[in-house]
Formats: sequence, structure tokens, C-alpha cells
Amino acid sequence: MGARAAWMVAVALLLIGGVVGGLLRAGVAVPVPDARAWPGHAVLSHAFLMVCGFLGTVIGIERAVAAKARLAFAAPIASASAGVAALNGAPTLAAWLVVLAALSFVMVNASMLLRQKVAHIGVLLVGAAAWFVGALLHAWGGSAHGTGAVPWWFSFLILTIAGERLEMTRLMRRRAGAAASLYVVLGGLLLGSAAFSISATAGAIVFGGSLVALAAWLMCFDIARRTVASHGVSRYMAVCLLAGYAWLGIAGVAWMAAAVGHPLRDLALHALGMGFVFSMMLAHAPVVLPALTRVKVQFGRHFYVPLALLHASLAVRALASLSPEFLRAGALGNAVAMAAFLLTLLASSLAWRSKHRSGGHAVRAHD
Amino acid sequence: MNPSQPDVAAEAPFPYTGPAELRQPIERALRAVADPELAMSIVDVGLVYGVTLRDGKAKVTVTMTSVACPVTEVILQDIEAELDRVIPPEMMIDVELVWEPGWNAERMSASARAFMGW
Repeated sequence: MGARAAWMVAVALLLIGGVVGGLLRAGVAVPVPDARAWPGHAVLSHAFLMVCGFLGTVIGIERAVAAKARLAFAAPIASASAGVAALNGAPTLAAWLVVLAALSFVMVNASMLLRQKVAHIGVLLVGAAAWFVGALLHAWGGSAHGTGAVPWWFSFLILTIAGERLEMTRLMRRRAGAAASLYVVLGGLLLGSAAFSISATAGAIVFGGSLVALAAWLMCFDIARRTVASHGVSRYMAVCLLAGYAWLGIAGVAWMAAAVGHPLRDLALHALGMGFVFSMMLAHAPVVLPALTRVKVQFGRHFYVPLALLHASLAVRALASLSPEFLRAGALGNAVAMAAFLLTLLASSLAWRSKHRSGGHAVRAHD
Repeated sequence: MNPSQPDVAAEAPFPYTGPAELRQPIERALRAVADPELAMSIVDVGLVYGVTLRDGKAKVTVTMTSVACPVTEVILQDIEAELDRVIPPEMMIDVELVWEPGWNAERMSASARAFMGW
């Protein structure tokens, strides 16, 4: 098996493990083999598997491919191993492997900042550092105090996305103070994450307020407002982004409401993790997948199907506080949306192959 | 114009040095390479720093907007594939990625700037 195929299998297993854990948590009767212990471990490690195992590995691979340095793959190797360790019931080993992954990832981003000293790479580096802080809290805190790690893990994902979006805003005429206001918002996010370990209520309110502010910033300044008027894959990406920003705002309100006692914790976590972060993933997959796997995809309108499924099922899940049935149906819908997305990618790569089967050029000399 | 005469075109969207008859095909080839998120060609975004055809080699110098972009390699391959259609087969194609000088929005074409609200 080639390295790319091995990565694809590892990432798919981490995603399946995380999703099965999430479905079982939501009370969906997933047909899992009784004799196996991994589904139980997946339930306990759901957030860890999704953020550090699956997304941490995908982001680590993305950055390593951009860095063009073999050593940069240490981060995704460690995070993927952490996910496997968690599924095999070795949470301590898994936690420390993620510390190693995050530390390696900080170094990869620091080396990038040395190569291109621009603000958005600085934001990516701070995001990597947030992952490292969250990983340390998780590894040291154990299951009793490890929940303080979750806002840091989310900060890692949010700053990674914010850094990438900040880069794109350079193409637009930006109003004075746009970048500075983003740094204030991201500072609030980190402050909320830090405060969470001292007072979960105060931390969640600051964190949630920062999410609302970030959603407003992205709605005002992101290029998606312009590119939604374009066509094809560019328009699809913009639709994913704008839908994600709406969920980011909803997540912020839910974080604040949950902090003062409203039963909205599931919405707070999943509007952010699924509505915002997975929407970004759906947006970029048709472009990033060929870069990571060398598998090209033929874009078409069918890409909107999993996107619609994701947001419709999240809307159902948002009603979870009214009845556990909504939670179960919403969680199942989320999983179906992800499966539909993987099928869409598979079908699109086969479509690209059949369209370009007759292609090919004569080989010429290269440097 | 004499085909063997080098053409240093100032009006082109990027500095070009090479046979005049290849200037437009090369520009068209580079315009066929798009930044997927923007639905804009790399020429309009201002990522092409220059093209020089000399001594059996076609050298294209490009930049990207971010070192953290994983799609860079795909764009470089697309550039090479598009140039492969128009550059004479006996010439080598060399696509060089540079980070200095850094990209800025001033490099965008008038139409790209208009689309982005400048």
C-alpha cells in the first residue's frame, strides 16, 4: 500500500471511529459487533477522535504537503497514532501522542512564519499553539479536569480557519481596522479558552461572545460575499462558507446560553464542530483532496446534496433540547451527510477519470 | 514581425521575453489555470511574475498568496500541463515558485480588482 492510500485508510478509520462514538452517544442504535471493545472507547473519546484524531491529522497532512518537508509529517503521524491508541483503549498514550503531534505542528507553522512573515501565518501559528495548550491540559488533567481542553481544541480549529480566511481577505479592499478587529476577536476566543479552566461559566460566555463576533467579522469581510456571485466550484465553496458562518453565530449564542443553564450543550458543540468546521471541510475538499491524494474530482451540482443534508440534519439536531428523538434523528442525519459526502467524492473522482481517460501528453524533458 | 526576434512585451500582464508568436498562446495557457476558490485565472490574481523563453528552456516564475496553501503543487502541475500544449516539444518547461517579492493586491488585474470590490 502506498503512503497516500495508507493515509486515506487511516483518516477514514478515524472518522468512522469518531462518528460511531458520536452516534452511540446520541442514542442511535448502531449495529456494532458485541465482541469488540473499540465502540465503547469511541464513545468515551468522541471529541478527541473528531478534533485531535481526524481533523488534527487532516490539517497536519495539509500543512505538511504545503511545507514540502518530510519531517512535517511527524505531526499527522503522531495524531493519527493517537486516534488509533484511543480506539484501542489507551487514552493516556493517545493524549501524550497528541501533545507530540501539536508540538510538531507548532514547529511546522513556526518554520512557515520564518519563510513568509505575514499576519495570516501568525494566526495559524497561534492556532497550533492553542492545540498544544489543549493537548497538555487533556494529558495532564485526565478525565476529571480534561474538559478545559475542549475550548482550546476548538480554538485550534477556529484559528486555523480564521488564518486561512484572513489570507483570502487580502484580495478584497479591506476597511481600516478590519484586521485589528479580527485580532481582538481571536484574543477574546483565547481568553475565553483560558478562563474556562478557572470558571466554566465565565469562560463559556467569553468564548461564545467571541464566536458571535467572529461570525459577524467573517460575514462582513470574507471574500465569500463576492465569490457567491461567481459559478461552479467557487460558488459552491462560498455557499458552504456562508452557511458555516451562520452556524458559527448560532454556536456562539448556544455557548453563552448553555453557560447560564439552558440545555444547549449539544447545539453549542455541534453547531461549531459540524455546522462551522465541517462546512469548511466540505467547502475545501474538492480543491484540497486532489492536492493531498493526487485524486482529481469532477465538480458538479451533486456536491450540494451532502451540504444540504448536513445543514438540514443540524437544524433537526438544534431541537435536541425539546426531545431526544430530535437528537437521534439529527445525529443520524449528520452521519448520513458525511457518508453522502464521501460517496460524492468517490463518484466525482470516478467521473473525472472517465472524462480524462483519453488524455495524456508526450513526455518532455524537465529540469 | 520576424519570428526569431525576441519580444519583450511591456503591455502584457506579466514580463515576457521570447518569440513574439508564442506570447499570446502562452498567456492563454496561463489564463486557463484558475485559482479554484476565486474562479479567476492565476494571471488575473497576479501570481505570474514572468515568462522567459531562452536557450531551449521556457522558464515561468510564479508565486502563491500563502506558503501554507496545500494546493500549490496542483497549481504548478496545472501550469506545466497547460504550457505543455503550446510550448514547442523540444523546449524544457521550468516552473519556478518564488516568495520574493511577496504577492500583494496591487498585482491583481483591473477586472479582478473590480470583482473584489476595489
